[in-house]
Amino acid sequence: MAQKPIIYKSWREMPLMTASMGDTTINKTGSWRNVEPHHVEQVPPCSFRCPAGNDVVSFVTLAAEGRLEDAWRVLAQTTPFPGTCGRVCPHPCETECNRAQFGEAINIHSIERYIGDLFRDNPPELKRPPYTGKHIAVIGSGPAGLSCAYQLKMMGNAVTVFEAHSKPGGMLRVGIPDYRLPPDVLDGEIRRIVDMGVEILTDHRVGVDVSFQKLMDKFDAVFVAVGFTNSRPLGAEGDDGDDVIPGIEVLRRINLGMKDGVGDKPLVVGGGNTAMDVARSLLRNGRDVSVIYRRTRHEMPAITEEIEELIEEGIEITFLATPVEVIRENGRMTGVKCIRMKLGEPDDSGRRRPVPIEGSEYIIKADCVVTAIGETTDLTFLPDEILAKTSWNIPADELGRTLFSKMYAGGDVADGAGTVTAAIGYGRRAAIAIDASLRGEAIPENAAVSPSLRDRTGYVVPFEEINLAYFEELPRLEPVPLEIEPRIKTYDEVRQGFSEEDLTREARRCFSCGTCPACDNCFIFCPDVAVIKVKDDPDKFYIVDTEYCKGCGLCAAECPRSCIVMKSVR
Amino acid sequence: MQKVLTGNEAAAWGAMCAQAQVISAYPITPQTTIIEELANLVANGMLDARFIKVESEHSAMAGCIGAQAAGARTFTATSSQGLALMHELLHWAALGRLPVVMADVNRAMAPGWSIWTDQNDSLAQRDTGWLHYYCESNQEVLDTVIQSYKVAETVDLPVMLVLDAFFLSHTYEAVHIPSQDETAKYLPPYKPSIYLDVKDPHAFGGIVQQDVYMEFRYKMQVAMNEALEVAEKADDDFREMFGRGYGLIEPYRLDDADYVLVTSGTVASTARVTVDDLREKGHSVGMLKIRMLRPFPFEKVRQILSGRKRVAVLDRNICVGMGGIFTQEIRNAMYHIPEDKRPSIYGYIVGLGGRDVSPEVIASIAEDVQKRAVADGEQVWIGLKE
Amino acid sequence: MEALSYLKHFKEVAEHEIMHSGHVACPGCGAAIAMRLALKTLGRDTMLIIPACCWAVIDGPFPYSACSVPVYQTAFETASITAGAVRAGLDATGKKGINVVAWAGDGGTFDIGFGQLSACAERNDNIIYVCYDNEAYMNTGIQRSSATPWGAWTSTTPGSDYKKERKKNLLEIMAAHRIPYAASTTVAYPDDLVLKFRKAMSIEGFRLIHIFSPCPPGHKALEKNSILEARYAVESRVFPLYEVEDGTKYTLSMDPPTRPVADYLDLQGRFRHLNKKERSFIQQAVDEEWTRLMHRMRIDEAL
Repeated sequence: MAQKPIIYKSWREMPLMTASMGDTTINKTGSWRNVEPHHVEQVPPCSFRCPAGNDVVSFVTLAAEGRLEDAWRVLAQTTPFPGTCGRVCPHPCETECNRAQFGEAINIHSIERYIGDLFRDNPPELKRPPYTGKHIAVIGSGPAGLSCAYQLKMMGNAVTVFEAHSKPGGMLRVGIPDYRLPPDVLDGEIRRIVDMGVEILTDHRVGVDVSFQKLMDKFDAVFVAVGFTNSRPLGAEGDDGDDVIPGIEVLRRINLGMKDGVGDKPLVVGGGNTAMDVARSLLRNGRDVSVIYRRTRHEMPAITEEIEELIEEGIEITFLATPVEVIRENGRMTGVKCIRMKLGEPDDSGRRRPVPIEGSEYIIKADCVVTAIGETTDLTFLPDEILAKTSWNIPADELGRTLFSKMYAGGDVADGAGTVTAAIGYGRRAAIAIDASLRGEAIPENAAVSPSLRDRTGYVVPFEEINLAYFEELPRLEPVPLEIEPRIKTYDEVRQGFSEEDLTREARRCFSCGTCPACDNCFIFCPDVAVIKVKDDPDKFYIVDTEYCKGCGLCAAECPRSCIVMKSVR
Repeated sequence: MQKVLTGNEAAAWGAMCAQAQVISAYPITPQTTIIEELANLVANGMLDARFIKVESEHSAMAGCIGAQAAGARTFTATSSQGLALMHELLHWAALGRLPVVMADVNRAMAPGWSIWTDQNDSLAQRDTGWLHYYCESNQEVLDTVIQSYKVAETVDLPVMLVLDAFFLSHTYEAVHIPSQDETAKYLPPYKPSIYLDVKDPHAFGGIVQQDVYMEFRYKMQVAMNEALEVAEKADDDFREMFGRGYGLIEPYRLDDADYVLVTSGTVASTARVTVDDLREKGHSVGMLKIRMLRPFPFEKVRQILSGRKRVAVLDRNICVGMGGIFTQEIRNAMYHIPEDKRPSIYGYIVGLGGRDVSPEVIASIAEDVQKRAVADGEQVWIGLKE
Repeated sequence: MEALSYLKHFKEVAEHEIMHSGHVACPGCGAAIAMRLALKTLGRDTMLIIPACCWAVIDGPFPYSACSVPVYQTAFETASITAGAVRAGLDATGKKGINVVAWAGDGGTFDIGFGQLSACAERNDNIIYVCYDNEAYMNTGIQRSSATPWGAWTSTTPGSDYKKERKKNLLEIMAAHRIPYAASTTVAYPDDLVLKFRKAMSIEGFRLIHIFSPCPPGHKALEKNSILEARYAVESRVFPLYEVEDGTKYTLSMDPPTRPVADYLDLQGRFRHLNKKERSFIQQAVDEEWTRLMHRMRIDEAL
């Protein structure tokens, strides 16, 4: 608190000797300054890169503080599937993690998984607004559909989800083997959505059991999230036999407890997650399985860990080769003629295009081919006038709006992104657009931005702006997976979760890039007592006292995580 | 209680009577026996004080400053080179308005080394803002220590009391010593108005800008002006309580004297005897002893010397290039009185470096001043080997 | 997040704010940070004795003070004795439980106040003596002191006449007095600083804390780099952080990852004139001093 100047008019008023009678707050040293610090919330690369829009830095920070329920609440804002994503997401958050350049990236997915699992069966209550009176149909109970349903429900709407299969979950259910995503995890997370009041009608195939037009007529809006349903054809001579089976079909059969219908020595074609999943599942089903991929390991689109685990499990991958002809004797497949490839110029995806090497054909023994070279959509359930305006997908903007009113689309059917997290994000964004339009409100301008990033005014924090003096170079903690020998005989989950101790230790390694956790460095190092701690304001920990700040910049220099920028004084 | 004490011991016992709480001192001949006696008094429990045995006089004064600033009554003693080394901090104590009391045993400045008395050491500190007493006897030393605290603590300025090396410092006399309780009735405990106190924090001695520095100096001048009255009263009160007093100046056989010898310190004692002798021989001679040099008792000196024929000032000091320092002080005091009342003032340099100022020397000055034609401002060096 | 555990001790004193804004230290002043952290730890039952030094100015002109504890400004060479005497005065008047702290720069400690410092240490006066060391007479405009390191430019060691003498080793000299506690610390490690003040407060007798205190104008460094410079001083072993109890018991406070001295020199314009050979000489001298320190730490084992 600044005081008034003390002015002596007479020597009689002055003290006996030069003894102070007040403090220096009279002296407004803020006038010395030509630059000044601003506390800003910068953009952490993890949150920035999360396709689901999760507030990664916040839930990790809360986990580090042991505030696990709060961490769960942060996740619950953007995803109903933390336990699932913590297992199956390729975690671009970790790829971008600044920690990767000082130690290793934070094991974010294991943290998310722990938090998701911890509250899966006893989820804390979430506040919801009153019922809006609106009812939305969602086609497809995959991650996009259920994410959209979940968000719409959270916003106070009624939702009915139409699912063609006998169990909900879409690709999560039928496309991902149990050893990666145990059914009780998925069941639990879907149960929470159902418990919230979302209606899921299984065995309801739109276009067969109910017409699309009827949904359009009956519901206030329809969100189409049917995902990828069909495999791309192999494109080799003789690929039309029933011994050439789509990978997603094999996975569907296995996941729904049916016979896989695959021979003893299957050849899996492809380098994506479906290829890995199907190959490893067939290994567990006792098959002599191998994989063939037309480029090199470097170009494989599958999650790195999946590739590593497949190789660990002893499955051979033939690189730089592709089938050209299925060889059958007496109607039974005996092998596949393949041609060797070399890498040419980069294609649209940026990967180098494989080019066949003439005359390099050879034969791989196999009695069955499983194709996993990409998936595509099946839009035949749509009425003709709508179908006419589609291509391989349903064109939609990032908020799921299509050319048709009331009709929204998202997930793989719209963008073909092919990941659970992208689908969750799409579903969530579409929910915002649907809810706003049903309320007759304008869609917020930044609706497509992840909620946690909307108020962040800064830039994506580069590694160079992390002050490493405040961090130890500690290794990443990684739970030990199941031993190879027992695991390849069962569908038990391969990867294990964190212990609570490891969870905290790992979360504490987080830089919290651009996110002020009130570490007090700016407060401590201010020579001018001009960084003031704010009490009782959850959004703001410090203010700069501009009456006294001399603009030295120590606070910004010593901020461990780039939460302070120096700006010129106007 | 009465004891036979040296002047130095009397100074130490004075501090004991006054119950000095912190002593901070460093040995130098001829002051050493003051601090030895104090060390004994502290060691045997007669004085409840902290004795900081510092490594220099500079620190001795810094020690007094620190302890006094913390609210304790302090005492120190020094001499000559030691006093000179303190110089910076003498200003500090005075401007800091700390009522430190210090005994200075007058000793000539080096080089070459002299341990014998003259006043140049103390007079070199004349302008530091301290009060200065010059003592004549061991009893006066003890009594002046006690009075010094009374005056210093009233006006918040430090006091230096001066005694001659050996003539007082190492000479025994019978001295009356009041008890601490008796002294306490005269001198209440030290209670500064502002000091280092965590419950009422102030910062002392911060930067002062041009707009207020002069005022602090002026306040010292006001305090010094007050100090004349305060010292007078302190002496009167002391006389009332203990039956002894000295005045700020002391006229001796001056009532009808045409010629006045102005003295200070032990020279006054010798002059007393000499005046008696000269009176018997018919000379119209008296003596004025200056006990307090700062603040200078202007009015009193004027009054006493007004209308005399001639004044001989005995200076056991020399301001080289100017003359005796007491002479200058007296001349300055007498300038503004009417011309017909203004005596001629003659300066005599005597006894530098401990040379004896005997009755014969003083008598020769008394005779010289009566004969000398004009007071031309020239200093007369007595006993100089021509 | 790791920063939190790193500030365990600081957290306990964070709320105490005894130093005020509006003081007149230069922007980025290490000495201001040092005072602020020290006062947080020392608390209000503290008296500061400040001789001529930057802080004599920083505290503010009459009638204001930046510190809400009693401050006594004293002559350049007398911080230690004045503090010792303040303690004597407090003892004599029966006042207990007060930290008497001499707060002096390197000039007042290494040079003009050195005799008094030694005497105070020898007497084991019951004070905490703090030397905030900015390695030259900064208050008077960057003249060399015996705390100025070899190679440094100052306004009295200009051009090719850069300082050719080593910095005096204060902590070793003080340890040789067998004082109960002597420690080095710096502003880059607030927890270390807080911890050492706390330890000093728990001990009676003469305690000395030597704080390396960056000075942006004097070191010709950027204001924002003061903490970095202090950190590099420690990491490069130019200024090791350690404690010596009773002159014999050595404890290394921090065994940092070794950083080349060049990193430290590069932050400061006062070393800019040095050529490669001169810079490597500094590195060599620092390495040697470190080795000596390591040996001193182990001398008890030998005995």
